[in-house]
Amino acid sequence: MIYDMKPWQWVKHVIFHPTEGYEDMRWKKAGSIKIAFFIVFLLFCSQVFSARYGGFAYNMKAYSDVFNIVPILVQSVAYYATWVVANWSICTLFDGEGNMRRVAIYTAYALVPYIVCNFLATLISYGITLDESIWYTAISQVGLWWSVVLMVFGMKACHQYNFTMTIVSMICTVLGMVLILCLLALVMSLFQQVYVFFATIYTEILYRVRS
Amino acid sequence: MKIKKLISILLAAVLAVMTMSATVSAVDPYTTYNYDAWFNAIPSQAGYEVVATYDSVTMHLEQLSDPNSEFFISEDEPATMSDMKDFFLSPKNEFYIVDTGNNRIIKTDLEFNLLACYKNFPGSYTKHTIVDDQGNETVVDADELKSPYGIFVDEDDVMYIADRDNQRVVKCVEETKTSARILSEYYRPETELYDSVSFYCTKVLVDAAKNVYVLCPAVNKGAIMFSDSGSFVGYYGANRVEVTAEVIRNKIWRKIASEEQLASLVRLTPVEYANFDIDKEGFIWTVTEVANATTDAVKKMNPAGYNILERTADNNQFGDQISVTYNGTTYATRLTDITVSEDGFVNILDYTSGRVFQYDERCNQLLIFGFDQEEQRGGFYNPNAIESHGDNIYVLDGRNCDITVFGLTEFGRYVHEAIALHNRGLYAEAYDIWQEVLKRDGGFYMALLGTAKALYNQDDYEGAMKYAKLAFNDTDYDKAFEANRQEMLRDNFTMYVVIILLVVVAWIVINVLKKKKKIPQKLIATGVSIVVEKGKTLIQNIVAKAQKGGKGK
Repeated sequence: MIYDMKPWQWVKHVIFHPTEGYEDMRWKKAGSIKIAFFIVFLLFCSQVFSARYGGFAYNMKAYSDVFNIVPILVQSVAYYATWVVANWSICTLFDGEGNMRRVAIYTAYALVPYIVCNFLATLISYGITLDESIWYTAISQVGLWWSVVLMVFGMKACHQYNFTMTIVSMICTVLGMVLILCLLALVMSLFQQVYVFFATIYTEILYRVRS
Repeated sequence: MKIKKLISILLAAVLAVMTMSATVSAVDPYTTYNYDAWFNAIPSQAGYEVVATYDSVTMHLEQLSDPNSEFFISEDEPATMSDMKDFFLSPKNEFYIVDTGNNRIIKTDLEFNLLACYKNFPGSYTKHTIVDDQGNETVVDADELKSPYGIFVDEDDVMYIADRDNQRVVKCVEETKTSARILSEYYRPETELYDSVSFYCTKVLVDAAKNVYVLCPAVNKGAIMFSDSGSFVGYYGANRVEVTAEVIRNKIWRKIASEEQLASLVRLTPVEYANFDIDKEGFIWTVTEVANATTDAVKKMNPAGYNILERTADNNQFGDQISVTYNGTTYATRLTDITVSEDGFVNILDYTSGRVFQYDERCNQLLIFGFDQEEQRGGFYNPNAIESHGDNIYVLDGRNCDITVFGLTEFGRYVHEAIALHNRGLYAEAYDIWQEVLKRDGGFYMALLGTAKALYNQDDYEGAMKYAKLAFNDTDYDKAFEANRQEMLRDNFTMYVVIILLVVVAWIVINVLKKKKKIPQKLIATGVSIVVEKGKTLIQNIVAKAQKGGKGK
């Protein structure tokens, strides 16, 4: 096999060779951060697409609700970012070999099947009835589990762990994500209170100066 | 958003009241609204309008104290009604009004002309002792009623009166124009099963087998059921406990708490229903008068006491969908009375807003009318009871001491006609009438749904899809969509097959050529590049021309 591939060919190689692809990529030090970010952008797009489009019977919400982009932004970009940070932090402690750039790249590459199947399922929902929803479910589930498998092998190759260690580190990563998000919420509310405090002082001073 | 909408409707109503006092016009005196598929309140046409109002004066109740009249009771008999709690339309089309404050029953015809006024109830064969909640014992003053709360009249004009403060149900029949002879009485059941001390009955109902159902607000096990002979049969159709966070928490606590802790836990019991009505098929409809009740707010019960309503309040709330806080007061729906008309329309009276919510027999929201501005005709202060006769709806107000008659408008008549056909499955026949409805209210949910179904039956699947989408109904949309897809496939079958075959053949040919390496790649590449070059120059030319043209002008 020839491993002289262009960056986008590496994506294809990894997706269709889950066990070997990541090891190959690590060995050849391949993988592009630009492509990774582009994939994350596509993830965001696919989630917007599946929220706003789809057959009427499948996605009635798309035909009624006021659309809010913030939850989708959090579900795609923010989750990805926290995953990368949490995984890198945990695996550094667990003697993982991957650096943050590599974690970001490998994670993003693993998301491709999920994104593609998300688009596909939404498109197919235009052509099927509710009785045939098995196709919709099948496609989205295949995409999801394909991505999960890729993610496991990606992390395994990235940190050079054995299988059990990979699973343990991934579970820890999820816990770490929860922790990071909680702390973020806490910090945000704290900053808000600080802001409110200074704002009150400011208005108080204004009143004194005027009177 | 919803709150804002309701508030704006209320405000508009208040404004309407302010302006209407000066002008007399044919415009509806209040804003009417309806709920769309998302349960937003949307302004709509009035389905009902006030036809007439009747009170003590129009009923000529002064005859009761006129010695020359046949209705003479006594010199100081009040000529006005007071705090009426209930009224009933008998099978012989006579109204029986429970004049609670004056302890009498007034009988009138459909135009509310006085027919009789029962004040004396001789014939009580027992001197009965009753115990109230404080444990005081009193002997029933058996010849008179003491704040009667409810009445039911069967086809033989036998009256069943819930004589609340005497803690009995009286079964009586007319003797003279001013008195009724008691046939029998139903007292507090002397049985272990009945664990309440008192028997403050408020509503009474009798089924075809002459079983008597009595409602006591203190009893939450359902209606108290007596046989014809007067013996206690049991309880009928209790409500379920509404599942709230508190219920779930208590359920978990019960598993781990000790005996002492268990004793201190609040027992969660179902809410008793406030009122009921029996329809012409013998099913008993109940309403629960608790603010924003969602569990068992409205029930249709078979003789065994099971709720057979297809669509229950789990899907949507009966009455107003949300409570509104306006001027510091929170208005939440409290369903106080229910009546099922001969055509099967279910009318529910909301005590808080004074509105009547009309549903069809499948509990689809149809019309909302009535109003809580007590100063205005068709507005209520204490709407206590509702009855229906033909197309008319009668609402009894205990504070204004009057009865308001609502009649159908043209719009309401169209809705009724269409829904009658619709519920019999005659969608095509209903189509034209639904179009009339849609002309008057383009967002009327049932009209959109009915149109979708009619178009589906007429094989206009695209139209059906359009209207099902407007009605926001996925199952009907799906049915139309499936049929539409099938039709499309059938019409263009050969084309699809040819396209698929072409694609397959092309794919095979390309693969074969690839294997034999016979694809002249260079040739294709040069061809593509030539096309691209030409395209580029073409576009550049067009751009240049456009710019020149722009400058020339």
